[in-house]
Amino acid sequence: MIVDSASLSEAIDARTVVTGLKADTKEEVFAELAQRLHDAGYIDSVDEFLKAIHEREAQGATGIGEHVAIPHGRSDTVKRNGVAIAILDHEIEWESLDDTGAKVVVLFAVGADDEGSKRHLQLLSEFARKLAKADVVRDLLQATSKDQVVAALTK
Amino acid sequence: MKIVGVTACTIGIAHTYLAQQKLEDAAKAAGDDIKIETQGTIGIENALTAEDIKQADVVILAIDIKIADEERFKGKKVVKVSTETAIKSPNKLIAKLHEISGK
Repeated sequence: MIVDSASLSEAIDARTVVTGLKADTKEEVFAELAQRLHDAGYIDSVDEFLKAIHEREAQGATGIGEHVAIPHGRSDTVKRNGVAIAILDHEIEWESLDDTGAKVVVLFAVGADDEGSKRHLQLLSEFARKLAKADVVRDLLQATSKDQVVAALTK
Repeated sequence: MKIVGVTACTIGIAHTYLAQQKLEDAAKAAGDDIKIETQGTIGIENALTAEDIKQADVVILAIDIKIADEERFKGKKVVKVSTETAIKSPNKLIAKLHEISGK
């Protein structure tokens, strides 16, 4: 499926994007993004969602290299599939495929129901493809505003 | 040369598509034709046809789980790796495919 840039920018919710986040650990990043997903109505329970994220973390590295991490949680507590993005003010430790840490964190929240919202899952897959591109990652690493985050992912 | 393949990860949301994009970019940089089918949560996309497989010089399976219809590739030169390997070292992997196909 071809997803155009307009629909990708629709999938990015300004309420769940944060730049310049001051955090020293993965846990602080998870807590911040989970709270934002909760406040924006994507998830019912922050605790349940954090549990789902940790289950995935236990299965292997979610750092995909180049200072980017894509943790994800799949849980019944996810009411609407969504994405939360944090650009950190400094790189933190994160298990990754290339032994870098993480400065860009893109957290996917996905409902446990496979049939859920297929269109949104397709958008998430499009995010993943974007994050495989070196120029997109370079722009994200330098982003200091929500607009710059959206621009990097939709150009 | 012509490469076909399949990517599939355990959760089927992210690594499947990262691996697809990394392999496509690396193959194009090496001057190869490539088509990668994804088997993720949203189902099968960019499905390989019998003709695609017939014409392929080599098959790359970047998979962490059992995939649907692996027997399609019987008789072809098949390289099987994890999605992590495809994401981490796509260029090296494409070089290896050249070595194996002899092209």
